[in-house]
Amino acid sequence: MASNISSGSVPHLPGMEVTELSKNTYEVYIGPAHPGSGHMRIIVEVDGDVMVRVDPDIGFVHRTMEKLAEGRDWIKNIPLFERMAILDACNITLPYVEAVERLLGTEPPDRARYLRTLLCEINRIASHLYGMGIFGVFLGHSTLYMWAFGDREVFIDLAEQMTGARLTHSYPVFGGVRRDIPDDFPENARKATKYMRNRLNEYAKIFLNNPNIRSRLENVGIMSKNLATELGIVGPNLRASGVRYDVRLNEPYEAYGDVEFEIPVFEEGDSLARAWARVEEIRQSLNIIEQAVDWLEKHPRENFMHEKFWKTAPKLYKDVFSGQIDYAGKYRVKLMPLFASLKVPPGKAFARVEAGRGEMVYYVESDGEDVPYRVRVVSPSFRNVIAFKYLMPGHRLMDLPAIYGSFDYFPPEWDR
Amino acid sequence: MNVWYLIYRVIIDDIIFYPPIYQFLIIPGLIAALIVALIIIWFERKAAAFVQMRYGPREIAPKIGGAIQLVADLTRYALQEIIIPETVDVLPYLLSPIIMIILALLPLEAVPITSIRTYYPIPPDYSLLIAVALSTLSPLFIIIMSWASNNKFAVVGGVRESFIITAYELIAVLGFLSVAAMTQSFNLVQIVNLQMSGKWFGLLNPIALLVVFIAVLMSTSGFPFEIPDSESELVAGPYTEYTGLLYGLNMGGAYIKRWVFSILITIVFLGGWAPYRPTPGIITGYFIPSLIISIKALIVMAIMSFLRSVYGRYRVDQALGIAWEILIPLTLVAFGLGLAEAYFGII
Repeated sequence: MASNISSGSVPHLPGMEVTELSKNTYEVYIGPAHPGSGHMRIIVEVDGDVMVRVDPDIGFVHRTMEKLAEGRDWIKNIPLFERMAILDACNITLPYVEAVERLLGTEPPDRARYLRTLLCEINRIASHLYGMGIFGVFLGHSTLYMWAFGDREVFIDLAEQMTGARLTHSYPVFGGVRRDIPDDFPENARKATKYMRNRLNEYAKIFLNNPNIRSRLENVGIMSKNLATELGIVGPNLRASGVRYDVRLNEPYEAYGDVEFEIPVFEEGDSLARAWARVEEIRQSLNIIEQAVDWLEKHPRENFMHEKFWKTAPKLYKDVFSGQIDYAGKYRVKLMPLFASLKVPPGKAFARVEAGRGEMVYYVESDGEDVPYRVRVVSPSFRNVIAFKYLMPGHRLMDLPAIYGSFDYFPPEWDR
Repeated sequence: MNVWYLIYRVIIDDIIFYPPIYQFLIIPGLIAALIVALIIIWFERKAAAFVQMRYGPREIAPKIGGAIQLVADLTRYALQEIIIPETVDVLPYLLSPIIMIILALLPLEAVPITSIRTYYPIPPDYSLLIAVALSTLSPLFIIIMSWASNNKFAVVGGVRESFIITAYELIAVLGFLSVAAMTQSFNLVQIVNLQMSGKWFGLLNPIALLVVFIAVLMSTSGFPFEIPDSESELVAGPYTEYTGLLYGLNMGGAYIKRWVFSILITIVFLGGWAPYRPTPGIITGYFIPSLIISIKALIVMAIMSFLRSVYGRYRVDQALGIAWEILIPLTLVAFGLGLAEAYFGII
């Protein structure tokens, strides 16, 4: 210790104190206030430049969401759960809505199913672009950061045209969705998908095929198929390790059973594969958006809300929907009055979807009151975070951002 | 009248255009470096913004494209409170940024920027060696400041800096000396005079130019070698504990180092003041050649800055691998090429 030195023959040197270590390693605390950590802390034990122990320390943005949910009306929990990951709002709240719908015994109409699918895919793209942008700036690549965040704006605008809100849409509600799309939406969506396809090729040119970035990512943080399944990794990170698992594929929900898409699977399992997995998923999401938009154009002015709720809708709402008033953002969208006094029959329900970062699971229990008895949330980021502990040791300290960023971190989601 | 004229001559000849003062403080020294920093940082931001589909700075003076943004930044740095943590070793902590800046400028004292004998700051016989030797001093103070900061991130950054120094210095020195092998001379004036015919040594020996260019990127932590102060794991590397003006000095230090190296590259590889032939007289013999060199060096710096929008950063072991396994053999090739060109009389 410092006192040992100063008490000996060596004079006390302010600022030059040396601490004795039992091992030839030292600890570096990446976070919670660190430009490369997010709202979490990674305790890294470093031997020279090589990480020997990595301990992801989460919980800095815990907001007791599950407990808060027990004191709120059923409908008011939707905006609450959105706060887990506002950039992926539809995917994050959809399983809650689905679970409650199972308790209520209401099935959303077809149009609502397609509208939900559409917004889910828009959210997935926005979320992947966000993750890629952060990944880029972690590696010092500011151009990808700006490009991804700039192009994300395209899809946020689409979501705004669709729902009226850029991020916290609260779009899926029990029995359907909150409102229909404007008439010029399909055209804008097609423009956006065309634009994004071109942009993805440019991303590959400047980032994924850039020799500088490739050398940083190739063979870094290799997660084998076995390790990935053992740790329970989900989402694009799992598929980058060669496991073909996607809730959209294994247990189709909403309109996913009716649209055609592929699940990109990569065998390498390294950081580069995880980055590619996201790019390819964006491509598939663009396909899904086009198919959903086509379907919506072929089936105009169908009901987007279950009849049980629709019959309580205000007159303005019905007029807008039937085409008597031009659809525009100028009318305030009100919720169906029935939601305010909604009581859900007693029972237990479980639902899961494939959110941007992986499988999102809700377990909802009702005792017949106007608030849930229990809501259990398992978010994908929480399941992915453990991988840091097993993947990072053995790599150099400079690989930490290369692995961390490739997992598309989002601490507010895993802390709830 | 006569007295005023005398004072005027004294100020112009003996103070402003006294070579050691002129070159250290005015062009290409401190004042030029400040103006260059203004231009280069603005260019860097605007070029990156152009690539990245955004506007770049335009809050300060929007009519001229935010060109004086750096003045606002410097004002902010200058007026910010300087927080000195209790755990630092105060004297080296405070002194090393200042010494680093002075030492970074020092190589300019060895560089002749004209062929007129009266305006040599020092006798130019071994000026290439002296300039290269002086340029290796300032990085030591980055290591001192990281140690004095008493912070883990700073120490890791300092260690990385020391690794990089050992790698790039050999490359830079050998790269510059391959020109000495071509010309059989360390005299920078002679080196420039040999390039007057238009055969710039950057064209005759492009490998040496490339190698020195990469070494300078490494030494000034430019992309893709922005390793010692890599933000995403080391916060600000050796400068983590610095605030306010001292942090501004550190940031400026890297730019000044890059500026000095750019001037050296200009003189050694890009023809110096060629094709202009200095004639006696302060303006034609000293001011104009210094301006020509500054403009050429500015272009070199602009190229270095632009790489920011193309590359991320290499890992430290990859950068060292590039330096020791690829660049040093390349430097030897460049040295051999220089010798061969001298032997066959191409110069």
